[in-house]
Amino acid sequence: MSVKYLRRAYVSFATHVYDVPPRMLAFLMFIALAILPLTQLNLTILERLTYANMIAILAVSWDLLVGRTGQISMGHALFWGVGAYSAALLFQYFGWPAWMTIPITMLVGVGIAVGIGIPCLRVKGPYLALVTMSLPLAVVGFLYYYPSAFHADTGIRLSALWPASFGWTGSFLANYYLSFALMAVSAVIIYKIATSKTGVVFVSLLDDELASKASGINVTKYKLLAFAISGLFGSLAGCVQGYFASSARPTAFDISLSIIPILVTILGGIGTIYGPLVGSYIYYLLYYYVFPPIIRWIAPSYAASVGVAGQQLVGFVIFLVIVIIFATRWPRGIARAIVDKLDDLQEAREIGEKK
Amino acid sequence: MHLLEVEGLTKRFGGLTAVNNVSFNVDEGEILGIIGPNGAGKTTLFNLMTGYMKPDSGKVRLNGEDVTGLSPDKIANKGLARTFQVVRPFRHLPTIANVLVALESPRGRRKIEYIRTPERKAMEMLEDVGLSEMMLEPAENLSFGDLKRLEIARAMALEPDLVLLDEPFGGLSPIETEYMVKSIQRMHLDGYTLAIVEHKLHALMQMVKTVLVMHNGEKIAEGTPEEIAKNDRVVEVYLGKAI
Repeated sequence: MSVKYLRRAYVSFATHVYDVPPRMLAFLMFIALAILPLTQLNLTILERLTYANMIAILAVSWDLLVGRTGQISMGHALFWGVGAYSAALLFQYFGWPAWMTIPITMLVGVGIAVGIGIPCLRVKGPYLALVTMSLPLAVVGFLYYYPSAFHADTGIRLSALWPASFGWTGSFLANYYLSFALMAVSAVIIYKIATSKTGVVFVSLLDDELASKASGINVTKYKLLAFAISGLFGSLAGCVQGYFASSARPTAFDISLSIIPILVTILGGIGTIYGPLVGSYIYYLLYYYVFPPIIRWIAPSYAASVGVAGQQLVGFVIFLVIVIIFATRWPRGIARAIVDKLDDLQEAREIGEKK
Repeated sequence: MHLLEVEGLTKRFGGLTAVNNVSFNVDEGEILGIIGPNGAGKTTLFNLMTGYMKPDSGKVRLNGEDVTGLSPDKIANKGLARTFQVVRPFRHLPTIANVLVALESPRGRRKIEYIRTPERKAMEMLEDVGLSEMMLEPAENLSFGDLKRLEIARAMALEPDLVLLDEPFGGLSPIETEYMVKSIQRMHLDGYTLAIVEHKLHALMQMVKTVLVMHNGEKIAEGTPEEIAKNDRVVEVYLGKAI
């Protein structure tokens, strides 16, 4: 038995040692995302996919911290907002360009994450959930409290990423490929961390902190490391999305940005790393193209009165409730559960045919 | 200098004194058995020694160094390893990864000699306890007896100076108990120093050289298995007063 085979095998998280189908799915998804714009140059679709890419980064950063290391973060929007605002403030007060603000913002994200991590070592359970959930709200209050500094009502403008020569379509395309590249790089890095020895220690924290200590692990160090990595990628996502939207607004701390990473991760499979990625795209497919038609079909007059945005919102809430109800039944992800069920049906059919 | 010196260890929980001024020493190469009825304070004593609880008074010294009140991971890295009475595996990880966690600690990394990789060392530890076949199996699929063996493999991965085994025979069938006795004896032959808390006296007494008896948080007797078996106070504590 070669050591290399062992190295590949031991890092698996869920109940199967090899999770080939979802990895294949993720791989195919990468390919599809890479070539899609070349086939369909619809700016609306591009913009939505760009946003989905950034949410995917936020979600996978959440999954590493919560699904894989067992910590709690009900306020991941904090990193997204910190990302957007750090870049915006650096631009507003110092005129820094994007290639300078983005790295600094990532460092700020790490700092904030470690700052949150330290009290998280002491506080546990529901209290910790409440604390993390209220942090973004507190920051929003802070932003509104100093209107001249933070311009909370109008948002802070961010510099354009691309030169004017790109044109309208060109900058949308460039945004998309930047978001895709960042998503791919973030996914690979987080995957490599999760499947490294450090990642194995992270899972030990999830499973049994006391036993991890007994094995000589400095639990505090690894918890803070998980927070740091999560904060780094979360703030990267919020920062770049801020550039795509050309401004940083208080909505960057909105509670939906704390809920959506959780939602899409449960959808795709918590703790799996590929789960939040796959889940993000499935979710936005549903959000933009399935929820509104369904709401219009179920309650046409209500749907007409609230418009598309309302239909999306109602769809989101109902979907959230459904996912929560089914989450405990399918801990490896609802998407995976569906794939497994199809596998089982296929197997049953094959067995029937053999007879 | 003894390998382990426990001096006047005391722990109170409100009005209850769980461990009351317990002192004893363990020398290198020894096997010490710690027995006593339920509630005698044996596991609390282990928790105090390994940093899971802070004593109200008293000292614990390992290799002459004061380790009283240090955190569990620091104590483990200094060479005092323990297993848990109720097994605590890392359920989501494959068996081999359970051992790899210990090998990722500072002490674990030091103990992997340069010719070996962590994976090879982990495989060896699993072979030693007979878990090679289950190497890639997620720990949650292991039987109870296998999990107890995994506990030991994890503790041994640190190549500790002293191993504390908390009820290693608990819940094992007679055959599994036999196997565990042999494993522990092998560890002793390899030069490891052991302290074992156990209820299954017939299995324990045949392995250990010294026995320490606890009752109501106090040490009431210390001696060879033969001496302890004849000790009136010990018999009284286990069986009640003779009529």
